[in-house]
Amino acid sequence: MEGKVYSDIHGEEIRLQQHSYSDTCQEFTVIRPKISFRSLTGCTCAVWLAAYGVFYYTQHSAVLSAAILCTILGLLLYLHLVKIDQESLLLLGSLGLQKSLTFASGRESTVFLEMCRVQDVIINEAISMSRVHYNLCILLRDPADPQGPSQVIPVFQGSQPRLECLVEIYRSCQEILSKRSQ
Amino acid sequence: MVYDQKVGCTRRSHNDSSKTTEATYCPVGQAHVICMVSDFFYPNMGGVESHIYQLSQCLIGRGHKVIIVTHAYEDRKGIRYLTNGLKVYYLPLTVMYNQSTATTLLHSLPLLRNIFVRERVNIVHSHSSFSAMAHDALFHAKTMGLHTVFTDHSLFGFADVSSVLTNKLLTVSLCDTNHIICVSYTSKENTVLRAALNPEIVSVIPNAVDPTDFTPDPQKIRTNKITVVVVSRLVYRKGIDLLGGIIPEMCHRYPDLHFLVGGEGPKRIILEEVRERYQLHDRVRLLGALEHRQVRNVLVEGDIFLNTSLTEAFCMAIVEAASCGLQVVSTRVGGIPEVLPEDFIILCEPSVKSLCDGLEKAIDQLKSGNLPSPEAIHNTVQSFYTWKNVAERTEKVYDRVSNETVLPMNERLERLISHCGVVTGSIFALFVVATFLFLMFLRWNTPDSLIDIAVDATGPKGAWSHKYSCKKSRKTMANAKSGSSLK
Repeated sequence: MEGKVYSDIHGEEIRLQQHSYSDTCQEFTVIRPKISFRSLTGCTCAVWLAAYGVFYYTQHSAVLSAAILCTILGLLLYLHLVKIDQESLLLLGSLGLQKSLTFASGRESTVFLEMCRVQDVIINEAISMSRVHYNLCILLRDPADPQGPSQVIPVFQGSQPRLECLVEIYRSCQEILSKRSQ
Repeated sequence: MVYDQKVGCTRRSHNDSSKTTEATYCPVGQAHVICMVSDFFYPNMGGVESHIYQLSQCLIGRGHKVIIVTHAYEDRKGIRYLTNGLKVYYLPLTVMYNQSTATTLLHSLPLLRNIFVRERVNIVHSHSSFSAMAHDALFHAKTMGLHTVFTDHSLFGFADVSSVLTNKLLTVSLCDTNHIICVSYTSKENTVLRAALNPEIVSVIPNAVDPTDFTPDPQKIRTNKITVVVVSRLVYRKGIDLLGGIIPEMCHRYPDLHFLVGGEGPKRIILEEVRERYQLHDRVRLLGALEHRQVRNVLVEGDIFLNTSLTEAFCMAIVEAASCGLQVVSTRVGGIPEVLPEDFIILCEPSVKSLCDGLEKAIDQLKSGNLPSPEAIHNTVQSFYTWKNVAERTEKVYDRVSNETVLPMNERLERLISHCGVVTGSIFALFVVATFLFLMFLRWNTPDSLIDIAVDATGPKGAWSHKYSCKKSRKTMANAKSGSSLK
């Protein structure tokens, strides 16, 4: 798999792939590592061992079936709703911006923003939980009120790349956006 | 002796400032990264808030990198930029009482550590002893091995239970702080006694007045009418009972004398009584509570400013009045003799007779016309207490502090137990150990290398000063949009 290797804010390795289709059309894809077999086994074993512990005291077999159901359901929900495999941002200079998320289960969620609504792409600083980090944001403008941004949409929220990677994406985005205004 | 030191200091800085008035950016030997921490900052209004803001602006002008950390005020949270790229972190911490945050000495560590690391802070400067966040930040900074400075803005008592408790906490908080700054010598004495400190690590740097706010009124027409202005809270501590004695006495002696009193308080009734009894309704005007921006307009209406305080740490009012070109008559109490040189102030004993004599002397001088003009007084006074001077002196404290060593863990524990009493010392020593272990855990969980270094807005490599680098200025501009509405 080609692409530059960066790290996210938790120290995990992520890959940035940059496809250039034309001068004004680029796609940035951040690929996160696949779910590791070891952590999957670890979690399952932990749940089951705990279930066995409870079963040992209560002697109720429903505990075991509940544990199995929990693991399976938990895994399904995790893959479908939480675990993000890749995140991408497609920039079409004349048309708009599309950000999409691909979950580990294969589910995709896509948002498209028309170019007339996009004001700018910026790197912003935010406080979340107990850390302060940078993220890439799209500034939207309200067509009714051309002065000032109306909404801020963060991108790459699932993969949370570090500043180095964001700057790389930011530069390319700005190149395309500056061509738009000419 | 105290007074001599002060005058020496002021004179020297006056000479300095006259040399460098043209240069807005002074190159400095050593650029520091300073983090100001206090619970009190704009949009909250007050003395501490404006002190932090003005000091930070002057330090930025001198080439340092300054950031401010405070707690979130309603919808004002996150990171904002103010004028000249002053970066303010509004942290989402719970406010407990009177705009001060709740403290557990532990829960704010992850966030503060993150900020200290990403901004590469080397000096943490906390403000106000009422602010829990300031003490938290001092505590964490010492655990992380950063240099610490603390500014005390208030005077405390010693007698009642609450002040005994706060004094104990202050002792704990300040016993291993590198340097402490007080606003006057009286305040220094008070702090040294309260926190049982070594006086050598306590500096005195007074507050400053913005000379552009307090200017004489050039359109003022001189008449025979002489107006005495009093601006203070009408409470016992400000000597309003004395004022009640002075007013009839002086009005009897001078038929063309008028009094203008600004301020509100429980002692207002005394002045009203005096006004009734001596039928002085047309000569004594009571204005009631004043906003800070109205004060100048009231001051310029008068010729003589009268201050009757019975106790005072550092009297800002007389500096403001002198800056407006008024003749000042004041009592000789607390830190007042430190504040102005003798030719700008007439000092009296706190008694009706002495103050009347003082006023008489002032009126004679005024009538004889051999006083300097208000503009001349303003021009002299405006150089006494400038933020530039405050920043220069604070900078010296930073230079000194950054060459000191931060106490290592074992010495810090020893200091706590030997200095703060066995019981309190031991309890806080336990806290120190707990914070240290927590910090170890955080360092293991998110190593410093994983925290992105923030782009400097101010300081030697500040993005704000290099506006042509397109990338950074665009980024900061977008961030500043919301912040700029403030100033």
